[in-house]
This record gives sequence, structure tokens and C-alpha cells, in this order.
Amino acid sequence: MRALLIGRNPKLTMIRIVALVAGCGVVFTLVLWPIRVTGISMLPTYPNRSLNLVNRLAYIFHEPQRGDVVSIRLTGPHGMFMKRIIGLPGETVAFQNGRVLINGEILDEPYEKYSCDWNSPPVTLAADEYYFVGDNRSMAIEDHEHGVKKRIYIVGKVLL
Amino acid sequence: MKILFRLLLLAVVVAAGVWLWTILFPGPEKVIRQRLAEIARLASFSANENPLAALGGAQKLAGFCSPDLQVKLAAPANIEHAFESREEIAQFDLAARAAVGGTLKVEFVDVLLTLAPDKQSAAADLTARMQPAGGELNVQEIKLTLKKVDGQWLVTRAETVRTFN
Repeated sequence: MRALLIGRNPKLTMIRIVALVAGCGVVFTLVLWPIRVTGISMLPTYPNRSLNLVNRLAYIFHEPQRGDVVSIRLTGPHGMFMKRIIGLPGETVAFQNGRVLINGEILDEPYEKYSCDWNSPPVTLAADEYYFVGDNRSMAIEDHEHGVKKRIYIVGKVLL
Repeated sequence: MKILFRLLLLAVVVAAGVWLWTILFPGPEKVIRQRLAEIARLASFSANENPLAALGGAQKLAGFCSPDLQVKLAAPANIEHAFESREEIAQFDLAARAAVGGTLKVEFVDVLLTLAPDKQSAAADLTARMQPAGGELNVQEIKLTLKKVDGQWLVTRAETVRTFN
């Protein structure tokens, strides 16, 4: 029983435990941040109160892509928004009868399951700006937090 | 050996003195952070709070603001509130307590503080986390301006910041 619990070499077991705890500490502090989704703006892709992880290293070697679901910080990491990127720097984004227009062309959005009738005037993004929106467009456009934010506010890519 | 011991003792005494000094005479940044934590505590309330306690809490909260304050709060669906006096703040606080009708926990997190060079005013960018009991967590970025009036840090300006443009 003792051998089963602490192994044949207790010293080695202790080193393994310390290494595992330290490794988890480093990974979940610096690389993968656990988050809890609050709200319905990302339905049906991410249900309310679901758990997920944010990969903070996702954009080290390349810039965020259209369709990525990302975490966006406010003044720090203790309050964040989860949104999907639909507009990239330099593009013009608009909503017309519920469809997203990128530079005047309709964007194909397979993740959007609920139809809507949103309309908003075109917005041209600066070189360091992205356009973010949630997947749930069944609510009124005024009630849905969406729009333009600078690149520096993107914390990382949602992993799952 | 005796000299080493004395030097060590001196270092401990100096360290304890510095620590005690920071406790007894905290710097403006520490005072402001304590003040903001107190404001968040006063903005929180519980479901079974009696009306007198609610009134006291609202008045105390208003007391943390300067008489010439300017507050602009924007909520989703383009709803906006603006206040320019302590009385309006107290009334809004009481109305909010009645409207929520339960427990609300308010926290100010990720506070970014910028002190003016003369250390008589400061700007604070923070995230307010508002958690009603059994409800959804709301987060809102807020910009505050504080001013030192008669030795006390009072809020002179508060406005919500739109997350997306």
C-alpha cells in the first residue's frame, strides 16, 4: 500500500510532485488562463457559465485571424470579454440586414446560428484595430457589446 | 562577532522602522487604493439590509465624492445617467439597491493609478466587477478623477468607458 501511494523511491516521488505542481503553476499562470464564460453573447458556440482556457502565446508568431475567438481585457486580466474577430486592420466593416459586410462583400459566418436584422454604418479599421462581435445576434444590436478595439487589448485566443 | 550582531540588529531595527512608517504614514497611492476599496464595499449591499443601513451606506458613499462632482454612467441599450451632486449620487444608490432587490457585490480590480506631480490629484482607471446573487457577473471599465480636499481624497469625476468603439 505504501509503495502504491508514494512509490518505491519516496524522494523521487516528491521531486516528481514538486515538478508537476511547478509546471502546472507556470503553465496556468503564464500560458493558459482559465476563464468562465458569463453571459449569452457567444451562444450557441459557448454556453453561459462554461469553462475555457485562453492561450496567451497564440499570437506570438502570427497576428489574430478572422474567425478567431479571443479574450479582450479591460484595464487588466480580472475582467475580460470573449468575442469573435470579424474585421481585420484596414478593412471596412458594416452590418446590413443582419449580414456582415467586409469591404462591401458579405462575410460567410457558419458559426452564426441565429438570424438577426442588425444594421450599422460602415466602420474603417486603423492599422492596429480589429472588429469584435459575439456569435449570438438574436438580441437587439444596442444590447450586444461589439465593435472596434485595439490589438493591445487582445489577451489571447480561446483554446477550446 | 559582536560587531556583526550589532549591525544585524541595526538592520532589523531600521527595517522595522521603515515598515512602521509605511503603516502609520501611508503614501498617497496606498491611501487612494484603500479609499477605492472602501467605495466598492459601500456600493455593495445584501438582500436583508435594513432601510436605515441602506440610507447610511448611500450617504457615506456620497461623502466620498466632492460637492462639485461630475458622474456619467452609460449602460447597455444607450441608457445614460448623469449626476452633479452628492444628493443625486445618494438617491441613485438607494434606487439601485431597490431595483436590484437582492445582494450585489461590487469589486474594483486592475486599478491603474496615475498621480499628478503635485500629488494633489490622481486619475484611476479600473474595472468594476458587479456580481448580483444568482445573477450574471457584469464588468465595466470606469475612469475616476480624485482630488485631495482638506487631507481627504474625494472623487471629483467618474465616467464609464465604452469597451468597444
